[in-house]
Amino acid sequence: MKSSMTFHKVIIGLLVIYLIIPLIGTLLFSIAGKWDHTILPENYTMKWYMELFQDERFYDAFKRTLFLIMMTVGLSVVIMLPTIFIISVYFSKWERLLQATAMLPYGIPPIVGAVGLIKLYSDGPIQIAGTPWILVGAYFITILPFMYQGIRNSLRTLNAVQLVDAAELLGATKFQAFRTVVFPNIISGILVSTLLSVALLFSEFAMANLLVGGRFETLQIYMADKLNSSGHLTSAIVITYYSMILLLTGTVLKLTFKKDKGPIMSNKKRILSIFKKQYRQKNTALEGEN
Amino acid sequence: MSYVTIDQVTKGYDNQVVLNNISLTLKKGEFATLLGQSGCGKSTLLRSIAGLEDVDVGSILIDGIDITNLSPRQREVGMVFQSYALFPNMNVYDNIAYGLKMKKVKDINARVKKMIEMVDLIGKEASYPHQLSGGQQQRVALARALVMEPKVLLLDEPLSALDAKIRKNLQKELKRIQKELDITTIFVTHDQEEAMTMSDRIFVMNKGIVVQSGSPSEIYTTPVNTFVAKFIGNYNVCSIEVFHKLVRNSELKGKEVAIRPEVLQLVSTDEDTSDLQDNWRIEGFIKDVSMTGNVLRYEVETVESAFHVDYLHHRGKMFEQGAHVQIIVPKNECIIL
Repeated sequence: MKSSMTFHKVIIGLLVIYLIIPLIGTLLFSIAGKWDHTILPENYTMKWYMELFQDERFYDAFKRTLFLIMMTVGLSVVIMLPTIFIISVYFSKWERLLQATAMLPYGIPPIVGAVGLIKLYSDGPIQIAGTPWILVGAYFITILPFMYQGIRNSLRTLNAVQLVDAAELLGATKFQAFRTVVFPNIISGILVSTLLSVALLFSEFAMANLLVGGRFETLQIYMADKLNSSGHLTSAIVITYYSMILLLTGTVLKLTFKKDKGPIMSNKKRILSIFKKQYRQKNTALEGEN
Repeated sequence: MSYVTIDQVTKGYDNQVVLNNISLTLKKGEFATLLGQSGCGKSTLLRSIAGLEDVDVGSILIDGIDITNLSPRQREVGMVFQSYALFPNMNVYDNIAYGLKMKKVKDINARVKKMIEMVDLIGKEASYPHQLSGGQQQRVALARALVMEPKVLLLDEPLSALDAKIRKNLQKELKRIQKELDITTIFVTHDQEEAMTMSDRIFVMNKGIVVQSGSPSEIYTTPVNTFVAKFIGNYNVCSIEVFHKLVRNSELKGKEVAIRPEVLQLVSTDEDTSDLQDNWRIEGFIKDVSMTGNVLRYEVETVESAFHVDYLHHRGKMFEQGAHVQIIVPKNECIIL
């Protein structure tokens, strides 16, 4: 038993090292002064960060990226949440169609998609090629699989159909049932989908470069540009936006778990429990009658 | 005067008829059970009464009002689901108060507290569903439905997920609460014993139709067909031809003969049974003996057919496996189907 635990720990340790080494490397490179023929940098400097934070272009690119992400993810939640709920609960026959649609981004390479979109939106009634709006549309499709899977799985785990039935029998309208019973229980699912989408869009380059390029410089395009001038500066950008994502994720998770100490708190426990073998014994439901 | 009327209700899915022209009536305060195997349409009928399923043809009336086309929230029926369907984001108090809040009732606190007391959940008001045992969750579900003072209470196999001991306790409690509130109740189950214990009236369903209705005693002692006989009471059913051969007598007429296993007696083949009047005798041997706690069940193989014979499990004489016996069949206990 003990040796098998050690084995698991070793495997997880190796995985963590594998995942964290590139990040540590990037961090070191972003604060390295001279680093030519030694394992660790010969000296350290913050000048790349100073340079980055003094560059107006960086702030503008960051703001543009943030705007795009907020627009896209917000729009996706507003449109996809009711759509998935209505189809799952009331029109389950159409679920396959929605599933197939949600998987479309996997089937279309970004270059093919981008060329098609530029052609389609260059003329005609909606001429948005080259504007950030075409990117919002493209990103909406890009994050569709994450939003769909996350929300649908939460609804299934919750047995939303029966909860809505129960709420309706107790006098709630369909909207009230959704607002008071379904939505509070799938917030964690929506949150996970949202965070995945944010992380994905923060690092999206292909679509941004092909659809808007320098006309609407996002963080990735700014970074690609800086890559030609200095690798150190690029590393500083990467570390900065990783820190931003980490901060954002941490804040959102903390706020959500703090807001409701009831079942969502238990969800948090459940997530943590994956690493705690004794969880079951500690949290067994109260047995017996009273 | 009937309180609930189901009038010629028909419902189908994908060209398959699930409810076939069902008609039944219930009196106010009656505890009725829809009993049948999985897929017989009992849950669909219950959901149709709740308004969670539309009916294709027919009408449903409660207290003289046609509710066939009303939405679930307008029907004034309460329902307890098999999986409880408690709201995970709400504690016990909020779950029970939910319906009252939706209907903007005034004395919510008093009514919820009274209900919590009735289902014996005092002290658990702040607990969330995942912190409760199955039995406690079921009581919350029951309280949540009852607090609305529905005209009819619908119970969709509410006890099937519980273990035997808790189930028995809850059966009693459910019956007590139902009597106390005098609420018309429709209970769905596939468990014959549960139906017998709890119901004033049982509707046995098979393939979308009600095959027999009556009090538990009527259903048990006078089944109308082979399905009911086998489903309700583990009856021994054999064709009339086989029965004639076994008893060497052809005075019974009909298609099949059904005999309850507990009315049969076993005696050794060497025992003199000439004094047993008004009985038939069938010879056979004990093929198997099984015990279900208080009941000993013998499987007796005869030349034509096997019979089950049930005895109360006491310290009296027991027959060994392989023993040759005579089955004593009381003539007046033979039911012709």
